[in-house]
Amino acid sequence: MDFKTTNTGDATDVRLTGRLEFTDHDKIPDIVELLDQMAGNGRRRLVIDMSALEFIDSAGLGMLLILQEEAESREIKMIVSGPAGDVRRSIELARLSEIITIEP
Amino acid sequence: MDAAHHDRRAEPPADAALRGFSLLRDRVPADMAARVAARFGGADQLPADVSAAPGARQNEPPREPVVETLLMDRADRDRLRAAFDRGPFLTVELGEGADEAAALLDDWSGAPAADHPDLPGFYLSLTTGSAYGLQCPVLVCDELVRRGALDPQRRSNVELCLHEAVANAIVHGNLGLSSSVKGEPGGYRRFSEMMRDRLGDPAVVRRRLDIFCRWNERSIAIAVVDQGGGFDTELAPAVSGNRARSGRGFVFMRTLASRVTVTDGGRCTVLQFDR
Repeated sequence: MDFKTTNTGDATDVRLTGRLEFTDHDKIPDIVELLDQMAGNGRRRLVIDMSALEFIDSAGLGMLLILQEEAESREIKMIVSGPAGDVRRSIELARLSEIITIEP
Repeated sequence: MDAAHHDRRAEPPADAALRGFSLLRDRVPADMAARVAARFGGADQLPADVSAAPGARQNEPPREPVVETLLMDRADRDRLRAAFDRGPFLTVELGEGADEAAALLDDWSGAPAADHPDLPGFYLSLTTGSAYGLQCPVLVCDELVRRGALDPQRRSNVELCLHEAVANAIVHGNLGLSSSVKGEPGGYRRFSEMMRDRLGDPAVVRRRLDIFCRWNERSIAIAVVDQGGGFDTELAPAVSGNRARSGRGFVFMRTLASRVTVTDGGRCTVLQFDR
Protein backbone atom coordinates (compact mmCIF):
# COMPACT_ATOMS: atom_id res chain seq x y z
CA MET A 1 0.00 0.00 0.00
CA ASP A 2 1.12 3.53 -0.76
CA PHE A 3 -0.48 6.75 0.36
CA LYS A 4 -0.44 10.43 -0.57
CA THR A 5 -1.49 13.24 1.70
CA THR A 6 -3.31 16.50 0.85
CA ASN A 7 -4.34 19.18 3.33
CA THR A 8 -7.49 21.19 2.69
CA GLY A 9 -8.97 23.53 5.31
CA ASP A 10 -9.43 21.64 8.54
CA ALA A 11 -9.02 18.24 6.88
CA THR A 12 -6.17 15.98 5.90
CA ASP A 13 -6.91 13.63 3.04
CA VAL A 14 -4.93 10.38 2.86
CA ARG A 15 -5.36 8.65 -0.47
CA LEU A 16 -4.51 4.95 -0.37
CA THR A 17 -3.46 2.99 -3.43
CA GLY A 18 -2.59 -0.67 -4.02
CA ARG A 19 -3.43 -3.33 -1.46
CA LEU A 20 -3.73 -2.81 2.29
CA GLU A 21 -2.83 -6.10 3.91
CA PHE A 22 -0.94 -7.92 6.64
CA THR A 23 2.44 -6.91 5.20
CA ASP A 24 1.59 -3.22 5.77
CA HIS A 25 1.73 -3.01 9.57
CA ASP A 26 4.85 -0.87 9.38
CA LYS A 27 2.91 1.84 7.52
CA ILE A 28 0.67 2.61 10.51
CA PRO A 29 3.27 4.61 12.45
CA ASP A 30 3.63 6.93 9.42
CA ILE A 31 -0.08 7.70 9.44
CA VAL A 32 -0.12 8.09 13.23
CA GLU A 33 2.70 10.61 12.85
CA LEU A 34 0.43 12.47 10.43
CA LEU A 35 -2.22 12.56 13.15
CA ASP A 36 0.29 14.21 15.46
CA GLN A 37 0.99 16.89 12.85
CA MET A 38 -2.73 17.41 12.34
CA ALA A 39 -3.27 17.84 16.06
CA GLY A 40 -0.42 20.37 16.11
CA ASN A 41 -1.94 22.33 13.21
CA GLY A 42 -5.49 22.24 14.54
CA ARG A 43 -6.83 19.98 11.76
CA ARG A 44 -9.80 17.99 12.98
CA ARG A 45 -10.78 15.66 10.13
CA LEU A 46 -8.84 12.74 8.72
CA VAL A 47 -10.30 11.47 5.45
CA ILE A 48 -9.02 8.03 4.39
CA ASP A 49 -9.75 8.02 0.66
CA MET A 50 -10.12 4.39 -0.39
CA SER A 51 -11.51 4.99 -3.86
CA ALA A 52 -8.23 3.88 -5.47
CA LEU A 53 -7.52 1.01 -3.07
CA GLU A 54 -7.73 -2.38 -4.78
CA PHE A 55 -7.86 -4.81 -1.88
CA ILE A 56 -8.08 -4.87 1.90
CA ASP A 57 -7.76 -7.93 4.12
CA SER A 58 -8.81 -8.51 7.72
CA ALA A 59 -5.47 -7.22 8.99
CA GLY A 60 -5.99 -4.02 6.96
CA LEU A 61 -9.41 -3.55 8.55
CA GLY A 62 -7.78 -4.00 11.96
CA MET A 63 -5.37 -1.21 11.01
CA LEU A 64 -8.30 1.10 10.26
CA LEU A 65 -9.62 0.47 13.77
CA ILE A 66 -6.22 1.24 15.26
CA LEU A 67 -6.11 4.50 13.27
CA GLN A 68 -9.60 5.40 14.39
CA GLU A 69 -8.60 4.97 18.04
CA GLU A 70 -5.43 6.98 17.56
CA ALA A 71 -7.47 9.72 15.85
CA GLU A 72 -10.10 9.75 18.62
CA SER A 73 -7.43 10.10 21.28
CA ARG A 74 -6.32 13.31 19.51
CA GLU A 75 -9.90 14.50 19.05
CA ILE A 76 -9.68 14.03 15.31
CA LYS A 77 -12.65 12.62 13.41
CA MET A 78 -11.74 9.82 10.99
CA ILE A 79 -13.83 9.23 7.88
CA VAL A 80 -13.38 6.46 5.32
CA SER A 81 -14.42 7.59 1.87
CA GLY A 82 -15.22 5.91 -1.44
CA PRO A 83 -14.50 2.22 -0.82
CA ALA A 84 -15.49 0.24 -3.92
CA GLY A 85 -15.46 -3.29 -5.30
CA ASP A 86 -13.57 -5.84 -3.23
CA VAL A 87 -12.68 -3.24 -0.62
CA ARG A 88 -16.35 -2.43 -0.04
CA ARG A 89 -17.15 -6.16 0.15
CA SER A 90 -14.59 -6.68 2.95
CA ILE A 91 -15.85 -3.64 4.87
CA GLU A 92 -19.44 -4.87 4.60
CA LEU A 93 -18.55 -8.43 5.62
CA ALA A 94 -16.88 -7.08 8.75
CA ARG A 95 -19.83 -4.72 9.43
CA LEU A 96 -17.33 -1.95 9.91
CA SER A 97 -19.85 0.78 9.07
CA GLU A 98 -21.30 0.22 12.55
CA ILE A 99 -18.18 1.64 14.14
CA ILE A 100 -16.43 3.70 11.46
CA THR A 101 -17.92 6.59 9.51
CA ILE A 102 -17.99 5.56 5.87
CA GLU A 103 -18.93 7.97 3.09
CA PRO A 104 -19.69 6.84 -0.46
CA MET B 1 18.26 -33.69 -13.64
CA ASP B 2 16.10 -35.61 -16.05
CA ALA B 3 17.01 -34.16 -19.41
CA ALA B 4 14.50 -36.29 -21.31
CA HIS B 5 11.63 -34.80 -19.39
CA HIS B 6 11.71 -31.42 -21.03
CA ASP B 7 13.32 -32.14 -24.36
CA ARG B 8 10.20 -31.32 -26.32
CA ARG B 9 10.08 -27.89 -24.73
CA ALA B 10 13.51 -26.90 -26.06
CA GLU B 11 15.39 -26.22 -22.86
CA PRO B 12 17.27 -24.40 -21.52
CA PRO B 13 14.96 -21.53 -20.64
CA ALA B 14 16.15 -17.97 -20.29
CA ASP B 15 16.06 -18.52 -16.55
CA ALA B 16 18.39 -21.30 -15.55
CA ALA B 17 17.05 -21.19 -11.97
CA LEU B 18 14.18 -23.40 -13.11
CA ARG B 19 15.04 -27.05 -13.35
CA GLY B 20 12.40 -29.53 -14.24
CA PHE B 21 12.52 -33.17 -13.39
CA SER B 22 10.34 -36.19 -12.99
CA LEU B 23 10.10 -37.47 -9.49
CA LEU B 24 10.96 -41.15 -9.86
CA ARG B 25 11.59 -43.62 -7.13
CA ASP B 26 15.16 -44.15 -8.22
CA ARG B 27 16.00 -40.47 -8.43
CA VAL B 28 15.04 -39.07 -5.06
CA PRO B 29 15.44 -40.57 -1.60
CA ALA B 30 13.14 -43.58 -1.45
CA ASP B 31 11.19 -42.43 1.60
CA MET B 32 10.54 -39.04 0.01
CA ALA B 33 9.32 -40.58 -3.24
CA ALA B 34 7.12 -43.01 -1.34
CA ARG B 35 5.62 -40.20 0.71
CA VAL B 36 4.88 -38.11 -2.37
CA ALA B 37 3.45 -41.03 -4.31
CA ALA B 38 1.29 -42.03 -1.33
CA ARG B 39 -0.08 -38.53 -0.94
CA PHE B 40 -0.56 -37.54 -4.53
CA GLY B 41 -0.98 -40.82 -6.28
CA GLY B 42 1.15 -40.18 -9.31
CA ALA B 43 0.56 -41.07 -12.92
CA ASP B 44 0.69 -44.71 -14.00
CA GLN B 45 2.26 -43.69 -17.27
CA LEU B 46 4.70 -41.04 -18.17
CA PRO B 47 3.19 -38.05 -19.97
CA ALA B 48 3.17 -38.41 -23.74
CA ASP B 49 5.87 -35.83 -24.31
CA VAL B 50 8.24 -37.76 -22.09
CA SER B 51 7.73 -41.18 -23.61
CA ALA B 52 8.05 -39.65 -27.08
CA ALA B 53 11.23 -37.81 -26.17
CA PRO B 54 14.47 -38.97 -27.76
CA GLY B 55 16.17 -41.45 -25.52
CA ALA B 56 13.00 -42.57 -23.77
CA ARG B 57 13.11 -46.31 -23.61
CA GLN B 58 10.23 -48.14 -25.23
CA ASN B 59 8.58 -51.43 -24.27
CA GLU B 60 9.54 -51.19 -20.67
CA PRO B 61 7.77 -52.95 -17.83
CA PRO B 62 5.16 -50.78 -16.02
CA ARG B 63 6.82 -47.74 -14.51
CA GLU B 64 6.86 -46.57 -10.95
CA PRO B 65 4.52 -43.69 -10.10
CA VAL B 66 5.57 -40.32 -11.43
CA VAL B 67 4.59 -36.96 -10.06
CA GLU B 68 5.42 -34.08 -12.35
CA THR B 69 7.58 -31.80 -10.32
CA LEU B 70 9.47 -28.59 -10.77
CA LEU B 71 12.10 -27.34 -8.38
CA MET B 72 13.33 -23.78 -8.21
CA ASP B 73 16.05 -22.16 -6.16
CA ARG B 74 14.09 -19.08 -5.23
CA ALA B 75 10.49 -18.22 -6.00
CA ASP B 76 9.34 -14.87 -7.29
CA ARG B 77 6.27 -13.92 -9.26
CA ASP B 78 7.78 -14.38 -12.72
CA ARG B 79 9.41 -17.69 -11.92
CA LEU B 80 6.21 -19.04 -10.43
CA ARG B 81 4.21 -18.02 -13.47
CA ALA B 82 6.82 -19.67 -15.67
CA ALA B 83 6.61 -22.79 -13.51
CA PHE B 84 2.82 -22.87 -13.75
CA ASP B 85 3.10 -22.46 -17.52
CA ARG B 86 4.84 -25.80 -17.69
CA GLY B 87 1.98 -27.35 -15.78
CA PRO B 88 3.77 -29.58 -13.28
CA PHE B 89 1.76 -31.03 -10.45
CA LEU B 90 4.24 -30.05 -7.77
CA THR B 91 6.22 -26.83 -7.70
CA VAL B 92 8.74 -26.63 -4.89
CA GLU B 93 10.98 -23.76 -3.94
CA LEU B 94 14.20 -25.12 -2.49
CA GLY B 95 15.09 -21.88 -0.73
CA GLU B 96 18.02 -19.57 -1.08
CA GLY B 97 21.40 -21.21 -0.67
CA ALA B 98 19.72 -24.52 0.12
CA ASP B 99 21.52 -27.66 -0.76
CA GLU B 100 19.30 -29.63 -3.02
CA ALA B 101 19.76 -33.00 -1.36
CA ALA B 102 18.83 -31.58 2.03
CA ALA B 103 15.85 -29.69 0.62
CA LEU B 104 14.49 -32.88 -0.88
CA LEU B 105 14.25 -34.29 2.62
CA ASP B 106 12.30 -31.27 3.85
CA ASP B 107 8.75 -32.06 4.68
CA TRP B 108 7.25 -30.26 1.72
CA SER B 109 4.61 -32.88 1.25
CA GLY B 110 2.78 -31.65 4.29
CA ALA B 111 -0.61 -31.37 2.62
CA PRO B 112 -3.19 -33.97 3.52
CA ALA B 113 -3.18 -37.13 1.49
CA ALA B 114 -5.40 -36.99 -1.55
CA ASP B 115 -8.64 -38.93 -1.19
CA HIS B 116 -8.83 -39.19 -4.95
CA PRO B 117 -5.33 -39.03 -6.38
CA ASP B 118 -6.63 -38.90 -9.94
CA LEU B 119 -8.37 -35.56 -9.57
CA PRO B 120 -6.67 -32.63 -11.25
CA GLY B 121 -4.79 -30.23 -9.05
CA PHE B 122 -1.51 -28.59 -8.28
CA TYR B 123 0.68 -28.15 -5.31
CA LEU B 124 2.98 -25.29 -4.41
CA SER B 125 5.58 -25.30 -1.67
CA LEU B 126 7.29 -22.00 -0.82
CA THR B 127 9.57 -20.79 1.92
CA THR B 128 8.02 -18.20 4.23
CA GLY B 129 10.62 -15.64 3.19
CA SER B 130 9.40 -15.80 -0.42
CA ALA B 131 5.72 -16.21 0.35
CA TYR B 132 5.69 -13.05 2.46
CA GLY B 133 4.85 -10.20 0.11
CA LEU B 134 4.58 -12.45 -2.95
CA GLN B 135 0.78 -12.38 -2.99
CA CYS B 136 0.69 -16.07 -3.82
CA PRO B 137 -3.14 -16.15 -3.43
CA VAL B 138 -3.32 -13.94 -6.53
CA LEU B 139 -0.98 -16.27 -8.43
CA VAL B 140 -2.86 -19.38 -7.30
CA CYS B 141 -6.24 -17.91 -8.30
CA ASP B 142 -4.79 -16.82 -11.67
CA GLU B 143 -3.73 -20.41 -12.20
CA LEU B 144 -7.08 -21.87 -11.06
CA VAL B 145 -8.83 -19.61 -13.57
CA ARG B 146 -6.36 -20.48 -16.30
CA ARG B 147 -6.87 -24.21 -15.75
CA GLY B 148 -10.63 -23.70 -15.93
CA ALA B 149 -11.21 -24.74 -12.30
CA LEU B 150 -12.37 -21.36 -11.04
CA ASP B 151 -15.14 -19.26 -12.54
CA PRO B 152 -13.79 -15.70 -12.85
CA GLN B 153 -17.09 -14.48 -11.35
CA ARG B 154 -16.33 -16.38 -8.13
CA ARG B 155 -12.70 -15.52 -8.01
CA SER B 156 -12.72 -12.55 -5.69
CA ASN B 157 -14.33 -14.44 -2.77
CA VAL B 158 -12.01 -17.41 -3.23
CA GLU B 159 -9.02 -15.10 -3.37
CA LEU B 160 -10.01 -13.29 -0.16
CA CYS B 161 -10.44 -16.59 1.71
CA LEU B 162 -7.18 -17.97 0.41
CA HIS B 163 -5.46 -14.70 1.29
CA GLU B 164 -6.72 -14.92 4.87
CA ALA B 165 -5.63 -18.55 5.21
CA VAL B 166 -2.18 -17.73 3.81
CA ALA B 167 -1.83 -14.64 6.03
CA ASN B 168 -2.70 -16.75 9.10
CA ALA B 169 -0.25 -19.46 8.06
CA ILE B 170 2.56 -16.95 7.60
CA VAL B 171 1.95 -14.57 10.50
CA HIS B 172 0.53 -16.81 13.23
CA GLY B 173 1.90 -20.11 11.94
CA ASN B 174 5.41 -19.80 10.58
CA LEU B 175 6.35 -16.42 12.08
CA GLY B 176 4.72 -17.44 15.37
CA LEU B 177 3.21 -14.00 16.10
CA SER B 178 0.12 -13.56 18.22
CA SER B 179 -2.39 -10.84 17.42
CA SER B 180 -2.93 -10.21 21.12
CA VAL B 181 0.07 -7.84 20.98
CA LYS B 182 -1.96 -5.52 18.75
CA GLY B 183 -4.51 -5.08 21.54
CA GLU B 184 -1.99 -3.43 23.84
CA PRO B 185 -1.53 0.36 23.77
CA GLY B 186 0.89 1.13 20.93
CA GLY B 187 0.93 -2.61 20.26
CA TYR B 188 0.92 -2.06 16.50
CA ARG B 189 4.51 -0.75 16.74
CA ARG B 190 5.58 -3.74 18.79
CA PHE B 191 3.81 -6.07 16.37
CA SER B 192 5.63 -4.74 13.31
CA GLU B 193 8.95 -4.86 15.18
CA MET B 194 8.33 -8.48 16.06
CA MET B 195 7.36 -9.22 12.47
CA ARG B 196 10.62 -7.66 11.23
CA ASP B 197 12.61 -9.66 13.80
CA ARG B 198 11.09 -12.95 12.76
CA LEU B 199 11.55 -12.19 9.07
CA GLY B 200 15.25 -11.68 9.83
CA ASP B 201 15.62 -15.15 11.37
CA PRO B 202 16.90 -17.59 8.71
CA ALA B 203 15.44 -20.63 10.48
CA VAL B 204 12.03 -18.99 10.59
CA VAL B 205 11.94 -17.80 6.97
CA ARG B 206 12.91 -21.28 5.79
CA ARG B 207 9.70 -22.75 7.21
CA ARG B 208 7.36 -23.83 4.46
CA LEU B 209 4.03 -22.62 3.30
CA ASP B 210 2.28 -25.22 1.19
CA ILE B 211 -0.78 -24.62 -0.96
CA PHE B 212 -2.52 -27.63 -2.40
CA CYS B 213 -5.44 -27.24 -4.85
CA ARG B 214 -7.68 -30.00 -6.14
CA TRP B 215 -11.01 -29.90 -7.88
CA ASN B 216 -13.73 -32.04 -9.39
CA GLU B 217 -16.83 -31.04 -11.35
CA ARG B 218 -18.64 -29.88 -8.21
CA SER B 219 -16.09 -28.23 -5.95
CA ILE B 220 -12.60 -26.86 -5.40
CA ALA B 221 -10.59 -27.65 -2.27
CA ILE B 222 -7.56 -25.61 -1.29
CA ALA B 223 -5.36 -26.68 1.62
CA VAL B 224 -2.97 -24.19 3.20
CA VAL B 225 -0.34 -25.76 5.42
CA ASP B 226 2.29 -24.15 7.62
CA GLN B 227 5.07 -25.44 9.85
CA GLY B 228 4.35 -23.31 12.91
CA GLY B 229 3.25 -24.27 16.38
CA GLY B 230 -0.44 -24.64 15.48
CA PHE B 231 -3.24 -23.26 17.64
CA ASP B 232 -6.24 -24.39 19.60
CA THR B 233 -8.75 -24.93 16.82
CA GLU B 234 -11.63 -24.68 19.30
CA LEU B 235 -10.76 -21.02 19.69
CA ALA B 236 -10.97 -20.11 15.99
CA PRO B 237 -13.73 -17.51 16.06
CA ALA B 238 -16.91 -18.16 14.12
CA VAL B 239 -18.02 -14.65 14.84
CA SER B 240 -15.92 -11.75 16.00
CA GLY B 241 -16.92 -8.58 17.79
CA ASN B 242 -16.75 -5.88 15.17
CA ARG B 243 -14.40 -3.79 17.33
CA ALA B 244 -11.82 -6.56 17.60
CA ARG B 245 -8.50 -5.94 15.88
CA SER B 246 -8.14 -9.54 14.85
CA GLY B 247 -10.15 -12.68 14.25
CA ARG B 248 -11.96 -11.41 11.16
CA GLY B 249 -9.99 -13.61 8.81
CA PHE B 250 -11.80 -16.73 10.03
CA VAL B 251 -15.13 -14.92 9.87
CA PHE B 252 -14.46 -14.08 6.21
CA MET B 253 -13.52 -17.66 5.43
CA ARG B 254 -16.54 -19.13 7.22
CA THR B 255 -18.85 -16.65 5.51
CA LEU B 256 -17.53 -17.03 1.97
CA ALA B 257 -16.34 -20.63 1.66
CA SER B 258 -18.82 -23.49 1.56
CA ARG B 259 -16.70 -25.33 4.11
CA VAL B 260 -13.64 -24.55 6.27
CA THR B 261 -11.82 -27.36 8.04
CA VAL B 262 -8.83 -26.89 10.32
CA THR B 263 -6.70 -29.95 11.00
CA ASP B 264 -3.21 -30.91 12.13
CA GLY B 265 -3.48 -28.91 15.36
CA GLY B 266 -4.20 -25.70 13.47
CA ARG B 267 -1.43 -26.10 10.89
CA CYS B 268 -3.69 -27.03 8.00
CA THR B 269 -6.71 -25.07 6.81
CA VAL B 270 -8.80 -26.59 4.04
CA LEU B 271 -11.14 -24.27 2.18
CA GLN B 272 -13.85 -25.74 0.02
CA PHE B 273 -15.87 -23.86 -2.60
CA ASP B 274 -18.69 -24.84 -4.93
CA ARG B 275 -17.79 -24.47 -8.58
